[in-house]
Amino acid sequence: MAEKLVPVVCPWCSVGCRFYIVNVNGYPKKIEFDYENDIRNHGKLCPKGVAAFQYLRHPDRLKRPLKRVGERGEGKFVEISWDEAIKEIAQKLSEIKEKYGPEALAFLGSERCSIEENYVLQKLARALGTNNLDYVCRMCQSTAVAGKGMLLGHPGLTNPFEDIFKAKVIVLWGYNPAATNPVFFGQYIEKAILDNNATLIVVDPRKTKTAKYADIHLQPYPGTDLAVALAMLNVIITEELYDKDFVAERAEGLEELSKTVEKYTPEWAEKVSGVPAELIRKAAITFATAGTAALLTNEGVNQHANGTRTVMALTEMMVLCGYFGKEGVMSGAIPGAHNGMGAGLMGVEPDALPGKFPLHAEEHRRRIEEVWGFKIPEKPGITYVEMVDALLKGKLKALYVMGTNPAKSLPNLKKVEEAFKNIEFLVVQDIFLTETARYADMVLPAAAWFEKDATAVSFERRVQRSFKAADAPGEAKPDWEIIVMLAKELGLGEYFNYSDVDDILREINRTIPFLTGATPERLKKNLKGCMTPCPDESTETPRLFVQGFLTPNGKAQLIPVEYEEPGEVPDEEYPFWLTNYRFVGQFHTGTMSHRSKSLSKRWPEEYVEINENDAKRLGIKDGNLVKVETRRAALVLKAKVTPHIREGVVAVPWHWDFNYLTTDVLDEYAKMPELKTAACRISKVEG
Amino acid sequence: MSKKIFIDFKRCIACKACEVACEMEHGEARIRVFEFPDLTSVAFNCRHCEKAPCVEVCPTNALSKDDDGAVVLDPLKCIGCLMCGLACPFGIPKIDEYNKIMDKCDLCAHRRAEGKLPACVSACPTEALKYGDINDVLWAREGKIVAEFKDIGDRTNVLEAYLIR
Ligand code: SF4
Ligand code: SF4
Ligand code: SF4
Repeated sequence: MAEKLVPVVCPWCSVGCRFYIVNVNGYPKKIEFDYENDIRNHGKLCPKGVAAFQYLRHPDRLKRPLKRVGERGEGKFVEISWDEAIKEIAQKLSEIKEKYGPEALAFLGSERCSIEENYVLQKLARALGTNNLDYVCRMCQSTAVAGKGMLLGHPGLTNPFEDIFKAKVIVLWGYNPAATNPVFFGQYIEKAILDNNATLIVVDPRKTKTAKYADIHLQPYPGTDLAVALAMLNVIITEELYDKDFVAERAEGLEELSKTVEKYTPEWAEKVSGVPAELIRKAAITFATAGTAALLTNEGVNQHANGTRTVMALTEMMVLCGYFGKEGVMSGAIPGAHNGMGAGLMGVEPDALPGKFPLHAEEHRRRIEEVWGFKIPEKPGITYVEMVDALLKGKLKALYVMGTNPAKSLPNLKKVEEAFKNIEFLVVQDIFLTETARYADMVLPAAAWFEKDATAVSFERRVQRSFKAADAPGEAKPDWEIIVMLAKELGLGEYFNYSDVDDILREINRTIPFLTGATPERLKKNLKGCMTPCPDESTETPRLFVQGFLTPNGKAQLIPVEYEEPGEVPDEEYPFWLTNYRFVGQFHTGTMSHRSKSLSKRWPEEYVEINENDAKRLGIKDGNLVKVETRRAALVLKAKVTPHIREGVVAVPWHWDFNYLTTDVLDEYAKMPELKTAACRISKVEG
Repeated sequence: MSKKIFIDFKRCIACKACEVACEMEHGEARIRVFEFPDLTSVAFNCRHCEKAPCVEVCPTNALSKDDDGAVVLDPLKCIGCLMCGLACPFGIPKIDEYNKIMDKCDLCAHRRAEGKLPACVSACPTEALKYGDINDVLWAREGKIVAEFKDIGDRTNVLEAYLIR
């Protein structure tokens, strides 16, 4: 028995944990913890990491290409050969392009695939003449990217994990790392609090495992935290708690901002958000006078129709207090998946090129065209949620989906299902027959993360290599190989001349200046990877904004923000605020985690959390079945009566059918849908 | 010297990585996380008692202590009489329904033999689980405070320093 230890990057969240897979003759036998290398997780793993290879050998794994025989959505298929599948797909895509033009095609990349795979996917779309490209960042990080991008010129996490030990105050806003990033929480945040006496401020309508450690816990109604942020800005400015030298030197727009937030007093915010004015004041003062602070956000901030505004207000708090560019601070939003950041950097976006350069930035377009050898279409494409409307209107005819599950992750799912029934041609390449794949004309079996060499970028901006630790089942192939096969069949072979992932990474090194130093050689030699920007092989950038911001004039832009409600708020008919949250042992739409035995045993089902007072009023007892109903759909769920959620708010874990309930109102800047809140009514189901 | 797994419940976030790690190692989790309504949680495994009732009552000597002080089971000797299960004040030894013999935490004997930590301790992201000798674990936890005591010397300050924690 040839047993070998293969170093991999964890396939779940974006902390970038490393461990080994013990491989016996191509078969994954177990995992082993990695204590040797100077890695970020110090060998520690959360339950998902420990169970990470369980789904690999699940009997549901796709093993051969499939072609639909039944109705769309029915999920009836026959097996066909790779040759036939690729030929038919190429033919159909060419036909549609011929008949309706390239803009009738759209492509979805994936935060669960490698940077190399996302790179070839967007290159294919552009070679075919369309920028209709997106990935789930649109529903996870896009508001943070837009907000911080406008203000600071870069959306990434600013500092290395260690810096959090030196932070005097840690603010976790709409972010519950004890459940979503347990290793980052345990190895960095919790140690800062328990061993280094950092003060913790948590903003979350639920009392979470994270909030258990909070010195100050603000519980706004979902999506009204913008009011809290504006009021904190008000306190920081009116009480002159900000860093005057820093602002004078490195920011512009204070005057306008001061005028705007004048009216947003803590008392006003209390009325809007339900958070006591005194507590807001206390939080603002604690934050502003700390000396060093970390402010980390996540979906609780991002996934709202007012998300970009909230991100802007929070970023302004950090700027005003002069916290950027120093040790002992940290600012950032945390992508859901292990390569959420990497996929974005590859330009899987309707209006950005590899490197996230705007599509209209001519010098970059020219430069990349030179590397590629073909012209990049200039017209920006449409975003993820907008693709649904385009499908319904018949403007979009074909969708090519790589490793993502829109039929479960998009808001207002009934409408999405309609759209998918209306599609002319749908290709899905994935490791399981997802909800989306059921609508597909052609399903292509992909290799899972551990079954290929691949590079990912963790939320610390760390580029890391993961190695092939198991053979793919049946005829499944790495996503990049599938895309390259298709490109060749489409007659675009000359632009896709790669024989392995290293070839692709080398082209990425050439195309994206701040990744030039992340070469295959460096990443293989150095498992710790390197933090981008890494312009050459001996450089990396642990801290951002040390010299200046990445805006054109190097100064932070304090663009004033006005209050705006979230996408839907309660009224008489639908009196409750509905929100969602994540389980520590489930992941995204459950494609992998629902198929992991140890995880689904411990986190088997969804339920709705209701405050004990609300429950009493409605005659609901713990374990009763209740109907949770919004304007779009209803779910029947078990009630979990708890004091740990504020009155007037109910919450459902997101990994099952939550998105039948959500609305598809969009954030104006980022086109982020309102996923985090909806107005609902609840009633006991009798019998 | 006898080593055990200690839990610092202040650090536990009820993520159950320990349970899953144990399950991956032994097929069934031998450690369990108990969650309380006030959000505290405690992971609980065999205590490997100094005077272990299970070892004392076992009629076939299937249970014994190994060199590290762990209470381990010899499956070839176990007759599944359930005496240990009854005698254990924590109800730790459980019957393995398939093999009709007992199953219990052995502090991952096979991992220790390779110089590795027990699986649950390896995984625990918050280091709520600590493996070692009680004195070492206590020193690691309280040592900083004790060192401060020695440094300061002034008794009132010492008391204050202790109380503010
Ligand atoms: S792994 Fe650690 S933090 Fe998680 S439940 Fe177990 S003891 Fe608690
Ligand atoms: S099984 Fe029970 S009695 Fe025996 S050592 Fe463990 S905790 Fe003690
Ligand atoms: S020491 Fe090993 S057997 Fe015991 S609880 Fe931990 S993982 Fe399970």
